[in-house]
This record gives sequence, structure tokens and C-alpha cells, in this order.
Amino acid sequence: MKKIGFLLVFVLLMASCEKDDICIEPITPNLILRFYDNASQTDIKAVERLSVWADGKDTLSAYISITTDSIVIPLNTEASQTIYNFKMNNVDGNLANNQTDQLTISYDVEAVYVSRSCGFKAIFNNVTITSGSGWMQSFTPSTITTINNESSAHVQIFH
Amino acid sequence: MVLVCTSIYAQKPAENKATKKDTTVYKTSYGLRLGVDISKPIKAMFDDTFKGFEIVGDYRLTRTFYLAAEIGYEEETTQEDFTNSISKGNYIRIGGNFNMYKNWLDMTNEIFFGFRYGLSIFDQTLNSYELNVGNTYFPSTTITNSQTVSGLNAHWTELILGIKVETLPNLYLSASMSYKIMISLKEPDNFKTLFAPGFNRIFLNNAGFGFNYTISYTIPFNKK
Repeated sequence: MKKIGFLLVFVLLMASCEKDDICIEPITPNLILRFYDNASQTDIKAVERLSVWADGKDTLSAYISITTDSIVIPLNTEASQTIYNFKMNNVDGNLANNQTDQLTISYDVEAVYVSRSCGFKAIFNNVTITSGSGWMQSFTPSTITTINNESSAHVQIFH
Repeated sequence: MVLVCTSIYAQKPAENKATKKDTTVYKTSYGLRLGVDISKPIKAMFDDTFKGFEIVGDYRLTRTFYLAAEIGYEEETTQEDFTNSISKGNYIRIGGNFNMYKNWLDMTNEIFFGFRYGLSIFDQTLNSYELNVGNTYFPSTTITNSQTVSGLNAHWTELILGIKVETLPNLYLSASMSYKIMISLKEPDNFKTLFAPGFNRIFLNNAGFGFNYTISYTIPFNKK
């Protein structure tokens, strides 16, 4: 009798700190780009003074004139394509030496249920990427079946 | 030695007296007890995400064992950070209660331990959801695209601990709590059953909890 009572109290205490109250599973993946040297395509080459913004939006606060070899950028789940602008300067801080390029990422958005606390995440299917004519010499791949995780870079960019 | 003998002799007349007294058997009534869960209509008055009704009944088989069952209807709206859904349907729970309380005289109060098998058949509608994008650069908006999945079902077992008090002749007030363990659950595609009628919220480890407050009346068939 007493043992059953204790068991029930213990179980109730356990229930009050259930882990499904906090979202810990991966949610909507971001697009990960990694920059490589065009002359020696296995070597990572950082981009200098890089700023990144989507068409019609402010510059991403994490990428304002920074030097980095990879970037993680969100895709717009409310549209079927996202256009990103990339401005860099590998000479000095002068405006005259700024170089720009553009990537257009097109995709189908699919809602995938994760859990009670995380809700639905988006995954991106039938992804195609096209670039403008700027400082990016080439990139690979230009089509991706699905972007559903952030475990590695999705696109390699050579410059 | 002398002391032991005297004590044996001394007890003899007392024993006779005791057996005589034991012949008086206090009869208690056996019958069908029916009632309703009073907590559900009260909860529905204060919580507009919930509607529910439950009829309870038990039948006394032996001095300590009662066959017991509950049937009911529940409707619950579950508002989470990224989803809003509603579950509604009927349920039945069947099992028994063991009374562990030793009553005085002809009283029939109970401290009971019970077990149940539960079955629920219900619908779940995903009213709206929002994609969890994890950024504010491209914020997501709520998508209202109501999707109903019918014919979902849940089977579970539960353990119950509770009390029953006879407040007026044959009228009982009862309070109990239950711990439920899901056996099987039919889930909708690309979503999850968050609430099953009769089971309540389904926790991640497929456990659930319930509380019952009932008022019930015994229709006495005979006294034993």
C-alpha cells in the first residue's frame, strides 16, 4: 500500500520534468557554403571582407565584412527561391575593389513533423543553384536532391 | 510452571465469550454502483480547450473485489509552440478495484488499488502549424490548413490508487489517480497523437496520468 503510494509520487515527479518540453532535435536546416581555392580545388580558401544579404533584405548580422571559409545561411521557407548577394574585397577596404556575385537557390519546401516541442521543420527538395557572373569562378553541385541536415557543407564554391 | 497453568485456565472462559460475540456478522450491501466524474464538467467550465463527460460504474463481486468500468467522451485542444491540434473521441476502461481498507462494523469505505485496460477511438485535427525555421531573417508564418485524421485508436493499461467514502447511505464520493502506459497507438502520418481521450496527454515515453473525482450511488441487490 505504502510502496504503491511512493511509486505513484515518484512517477509524478518524473513526469514533471519530461524532456519533450524542450526542443532538442534538429529543425529546419540552413544552407552551408564552403569556399575553396580555384587553383587548387582541394584546399580551403577564406573569403576576405565578405558581406552576405538576401535580395531586398538587410545584410545578415553574422556576415558583415568578415573573413571566413564557410557560411551558414537560411533559406526562405515562404518562397520557392532565395537570392543571395555576396560582396567581398580581397585587396583592401576601398569600395573600388569590392567584388560581388549572386546565387539563386530554387527548391520545393516540404514540412516534416519533428516532435511536440519542435513542431514541424522544413526540408528543401529538388534544389537547383545558379550563380551570377562575379568573383565565384565555379561551384558544385548545382543540383541537390534534398537538403535535410546540417552535417556537412552543401555547396563548394571555388574562387 | 504454575504461572503458565494459571494463565491457560484463566483464558478459557474468556475464549468462550469471544466466540459468542463473533457470531454477529455485519452485513454489507452488494450491488451495482453508478456515477459520474464531476471534475470533467467543472474543468470544462474554466478551461475552454477541454470538454468531457464520463460515466463510472462498478459491481461488487466479493468482500474486497469490485469489477469496474468507465466510459466517456473527451475533446481537448492542444496548443504547442508550433502546432495547434484537437483530439476528440470516445473511450472505455475496464478492470477491477481491490479494497485494501478494513472497515469498522458495516461501513463500506474504501482505499483501493485498481487496474484497467483502456481503449479509445478518436479523431485528431491539426488546425494550424508554423514551420520551426530557427531564424528571424526569414520568419515563418502560421499555416492554417486544417487536416483531420479519423479512426485513430489507442490501447493502454493503467494502475489506480484511490479512496471512496460513503457520505450518505449508498452515496459515495471518490477521488483517484492513475498512471497509464500505452500499449499501442495509431498515429497520423507526418504528425503525432498528442492527446488521446481517456488517456490524456501522451508523454514522450508513452506514459500518461489521470485524475478522477466521482459521485456515485449504489443500487443494492442484496446483503451478505
